[in-house]
Amino acid sequence: MIKRFGAVLLVMLFLISLIGCGNAGNGGATTSPATSAQTASSDPAPSFSGEPIKIGHAVALTGDASVFGQSEATGLELAVKAVNEAGGILGREVVLVKADTRADPAETVNAVRRLVDQEKVHAIIGVAQSGVAMSATPIVTAAKIPMISTTSSNPYVTINKETGALNKYVFRVCFIDPYQGTATAQYAFKELGVKNAAILYDVGSDYSQWLATYFEEAFIAAGGTITGKEAYRTGELDFRAPLGKIKETSPELLFLPVTQKDAALICKQARDIKIESIFMGGDNWASPDILSLGKEAVEGAYFINLASFDDPRIKGWVEENKSAFKGDVVRNAILAYDAMLWLADSIERAGSTDGEKIATELENTKDLEVLTTDSFNVDPATHNPLDRAAYIMTIENNAFKYVMTFAPAVN
Amino acid sequence: MLLQTLVTGLAIGGVYALMAVGYSLVFSILNFSNFAHGVIIMLGAYFGYYLCSSLGLGIGASMLGAMIGTAVISILNEKLAYRPLRLRKAVPLYFMISAMGAAMFLENMVYVTVGSHFYSYPSFFTGSISIGGAYVGLLDIVALSISTFFIILLTLFLNKTMMGTAIRAASRDMLVASTLGVNIDGLLMVVFALAGGFAGIAGVFLGVKYLVYPTMGVITNKAYIAAVIGGIGSLPGAIVGGLILGLVESFVSAYISTTLRDVFSFSMLIILLLVLPSGLFGKTLDEKL
Repeated sequence: MIKRFGAVLLVMLFLISLIGCGNAGNGGATTSPATSAQTASSDPAPSFSGEPIKIGHAVALTGDASVFGQSEATGLELAVKAVNEAGGILGREVVLVKADTRADPAETVNAVRRLVDQEKVHAIIGVAQSGVAMSATPIVTAAKIPMISTTSSNPYVTINKETGALNKYVFRVCFIDPYQGTATAQYAFKELGVKNAAILYDVGSDYSQWLATYFEEAFIAAGGTITGKEAYRTGELDFRAPLGKIKETSPELLFLPVTQKDAALICKQARDIKIESIFMGGDNWASPDILSLGKEAVEGAYFINLASFDDPRIKGWVEENKSAFKGDVVRNAILAYDAMLWLADSIERAGSTDGEKIATELENTKDLEVLTTDSFNVDPATHNPLDRAAYIMTIENNAFKYVMTFAPAVN
Repeated sequence: MLLQTLVTGLAIGGVYALMAVGYSLVFSILNFSNFAHGVIIMLGAYFGYYLCSSLGLGIGASMLGAMIGTAVISILNEKLAYRPLRLRKAVPLYFMISAMGAAMFLENMVYVTVGSHFYSYPSFFTGSISIGGAYVGLLDIVALSISTFFIILLTLFLNKTMMGTAIRAASRDMLVASTLGVNIDGLLMVVFALAGGFAGIAGVFLGVKYLVYPTMGVITNKAYIAAVIGGIGSLPGAIVGGLILGLVESFVSAYISTTLRDVFSFSMLIILLLVLPSGLFGKTLDEKL
């Protein structure tokens, strides 16, 4: 239903942009889902004019991250279908070209090059991993092709780490790690009522190291105490030594900004040596295999996610499209859907497929209605979305369970 | 904290010892480091995982199945990758290179056929026992007891049987042993079957304790260091080396820094080799690779 709703929204956006009215978001929001469904079904098959608009999807279809990638591909297909049913973009059909990145930097360079040089795409969605997305930046920048990353949460994806300059053609649809660290720390302190916490992180991972720091800063700022901060090296299997040290400080909560594999092992071993703390993790925990790997040890743990299938707002969309997802449905699908709506709106407003114009419009997006929110805003200085909701999840009866949508106080 | 560190160190050391035995066994006869051993341990973990999760067998039967599976793979490994070199009287360096090739081949075969997913065994021996305030995992106790049992069995086999005597003779001098009527092909089959069997036990324990995935064989690098510390080629050396390494790691992690742990283990290895080139219990050999 919401898919059709989105489709109608796009038609309206198109019409509104033709008559030059700027208040697009509100126009779509006032349409009731029931009437939009009728309108959509009574529409004749849309007829397109002109060359199709090519959107490249750089996605990990195989390899370690394929669970996320496959789901993301399905989500984007659904979004493109919705956009086309609503008449395409600028009256032109949207065509999706997929390229497998295998979540590997070298493969990504090849995949993005192919999309840019051979397929001549007008924009790219995807490259879900921060480290991998950074390898695509020079290519899209040189080619002036806008790219919207789905789940890269590292601040330096959209900003050049050395110069501090903005990467003009790189955008993201998810929140960033400092925000994530702040959100987890504030949720723990305010909602869970935890006053002291310990951290165990992977010293070999940028993501883990920074998230640990952001959590620590925010937790102390909120008024909490960090009782211990321990590290291990990537590839470690036995965490009982650092856990033993943490146990001595008896924290109420143990924050684990690590991969789902490490998290599962750490939780198991922590319970083995009778650490009774609440476990909490970052968005890396959102891989469903943490349930089979961690079993009862991860029961009752909390983590933060970039999007949730149990978010009441998108429940209808999930129900309607459940059959489209063959395997596990993960958050990447939702973020890819949002990215496509954002891109479609921007191309529409740009009035052309010129990369520079699209980038400018992506940057100037205000109060856009997308799948997950009524008002999607972008910070032009960082290319990060503003006020992105943080979804707090818990693990209950060996399944992910949505707790709440948490908005941290950012200072 | 002291007791917990000690117990943790012994538990980790026990796993190292079990894996180090396989390295030492092969080294004692063929004088080369069988780097395919880690991959065979990994295969053992996969065999055990399929037997207990897909066929629903108990942990005992799964372990037995895994041991048979890895023994067969280990024998095939010898027949296909080492025997042709042996017949051509290649130097140990070539054996080691061939072993690395076999390791890469098997690891990539797992990637292609099973994939890179992580698997977790059904829960066995969960829970822990409290000893004076320190917690010992039940699994660690079981693993340590079963490892000790099999190592005793192996020692008895090597010292009390005809075949064991032949193996010990061949480890002194293969050429002389063969001129005195020892069937070297048959003997090596037994040695590799034994090393494979131990890899199977180690693999299943590692799988139950941690996870199952294609690169899990990497942890055997530590076992190899343990074997070298103890004096590679010596069975008691492998066990003592494993326990020492486990304890050092656990104490460095607890009292100095977790991130510096490997720096300490490897420094210890280098210093020990400078002082005692053949390890704690090693026999002096001309060629060590």
